Amino acid sequence: MAQYIEQLPYEIGRPARTWRSRAGVLGAFVAVGLVAYILELTEGMGTTGLRNIGPMGGATWGLYITFVIYFVGTSFAGISVAALVRLFNIKALEPITRTAELLTVVTLMLAAMAIAADLGNPVRGILNLLIYARPQSPFFGTFTLVISGYLFASSVYLYLEMRRDAAICAGTPSKYQKLYRWLAAGYSDTPAERRRHRKAGLWLAVAIAPLLVTAHSTLGFVFGLQVGRPGWHSALQAPAFVILAGVSGVGLLAVMAWLFRNSLHERRLGDDVFGWLRNILGALLLIYLYFWVVDLVTALYQGDRAELTVTRAVLVGPYAWIYWASAACLIIPMLIIIVQKAKRSTAVAPLVVAGAMVQFAAIGKRFLIVVPSQTYGTLLPYGAGSYIPSWSEFAIAVGLIALGALMIGAYARVFPIIPLEDPRGSED
Amino acid sequence: MTRYAMAIDLDRCMGCRACMEACKVENGTPKGSFWMYVFRLEEGTYPSSKLSFLPRPCMHCDNAPCVKVCPVGARYKREDGLVATDWARCIGCRYCEVACPYGVNNFNWSDPAEADYLDWNEAELPGDGESVIPPWRNPDLDEDSRPENRPIAGGGHSAGVIEKCTFCVQRLEKGLQPACVTNCPVDAFAFGDLDDPDSEVSRKLADKPSFRLLEEAGTEPRVYYVGDKHPEAEVHQVEAVEAKV
Repeated sequence: MAQYIEQLPYEIGRPARTWRSRAGVLGAFVAVGLVAYILELTEGMGTTGLRNIGPMGGATWGLYITFVIYFVGTSFAGISVAALVRLFNIKALEPITRTAELLTVVTLMLAAMAIAADLGNPVRGILNLLIYARPQSPFFGTFTLVISGYLFASSVYLYLEMRRDAAICAGTPSKYQKLYRWLAAGYSDTPAERRRHRKAGLWLAVAIAPLLVTAHSTLGFVFGLQVGRPGWHSALQAPAFVILAGVSGVGLLAVMAWLFRNSLHERRLGDDVFGWLRNILGALLLIYLYFWVVDLVTALYQGDRAELTVTRAVLVGPYAWIYWASAACLIIPMLIIIVQKAKRSTAVAPLVVAGAMVQFAAIGKRFLIVVPSQTYGTLLPYGAGSYIPSWSEFAIAVGLIALGALMIGAYARVFPIIPLEDPRGSED
Repeated sequence: MTRYAMAIDLDRCMGCRACMEACKVENGTPKGSFWMYVFRLEEGTYPSSKLSFLPRPCMHCDNAPCVKVCPVGARYKREDGLVATDWARCIGCRYCEVACPYGVNNFNWSDPAEADYLDWNEAELPGDGESVIPPWRNPDLDEDSRPENRPIAGGGHSAGVIEKCTFCVQRLEKGLQPACVTNCPVDAFAFGDLDDPDSEVSRKLADKPSFRLLEEAGTEPRVYYVGDKHPEAEVHQVEAVEAKV
């Protein structure tokens, strides 16, 4: 195999003091989260702010479930970009395919960890879900389609797309040479191998593209199928979950593409990449805002007392600040994108601001779906409840986000986060 | 085949909450956990207010939302109609709790042994002078229940699992009535087999018009209420039990 490059790209393997200090800070957050989780394991879930619905007047699902949905939602990015590149042959997005796939794999792992944090019996959870799984439970889809199927397929996809670059990097003497050789696993970039990989990648993209809808829908069904909680039972729940997943996933991808562009000075992460992301984010935001309005009109127009109690708590009650902040975090990004399109502006910074803002909207909106229907949605006259997350829940949520950033950062330190340009030029 | 059901006479209930007490003693439930809960409800404001009482056990629904959503089949419907919780299989996801419109599920937020009302090691506890009263736990609760031989009886088993009213399955096995039924001073409860026209519950339901809670949710509860009417939306709870852990 010919030696393609003189030095490993993207400063891989070279000392980086800023990365080390940043990793240290992230590691500290992860450590605090880990301490909180160990406390939860030893003391029981009383360390959380969660309490029973009913006489105890609490919410039994809270921040953990909010972040499970947020993390799974964010994983939308990888598969959608892969599908666009593979199925619709959009070459412009190619430089961010790996970032997107990595984002998917990492956020799905975080989602699995957030589920573990939420389970009263995490070890029994893993065993019993394998032994006794019931397809009738909406959770079945979460565990099979999302956590197993989606994560596994995305990992395979990520790996297949990595082999060529691993083979290229293995040709350069470095401390990671052995790792690259192991990852390349005999791949040497012959035309036959290339064709085989293209084919495998295409079919894998075809196979996982339906997961874009089904996997994210199953999380919507967890709530949308329940009649016992006012505010949950709605056919709009599943499609809205899919679209908001797209909004948060594509938004975060824009932020990450900007981060890597700045830190790696990569000219291939150019305006056309961000242009595509802007278009996709804009379209998804528009659909989601439409869903939002439909949902609001339905909730306000009907007379059902229980539904109205929840709606009132959300619109003008104790949850109002989250509601209106989330609304602002969707409307302002929408306006940013509309103005940018109208002015034909290709500036990246406003898009990145929009991408960051929708993250808060995605978390806030999920919290509003999960919590008020428990604290204000009791159909028997229990009275209003309350839920304030404890420090340990915040610590675990922040720790998971830090862990995700750490994993992505570490990946970028040992492997080209942007697919290498073909030194021989594209032949097909 | 037995079809267990309960009828609660709201004209008789005086809100004394003796059923809640009996349930706790029989089933050893931890602090803050109320398998039976009695609402004391007020409609309007004093002086033109009306008081009413509403005991709320688990409804043991025929179309139970909690059974449908359980991802591992720890919550299941028995042939005799009981909705049971296999606490040894429960993974603690609490999906049953959010799915239930009645709020009857109780999660063990900490080790039940530490969430008791009394600290059994405390010296001031009344005793015979030499030692404190030993903590008492109903021995029947730790045995598997027939016919499935699954651990479903009683509460306070372990941290991180869901527990709820079992209609005192350990008492039913011995031919006894649930503890709340037996302990009611005014005989507000009728319990028995719906298939037996001479059972107490059948006779009660034949006697008087009845309703079930939140029937519009389609859950088909096995708990019927006679006398009075379904609580209106205008009622609010007074003297709520402070359930804390």
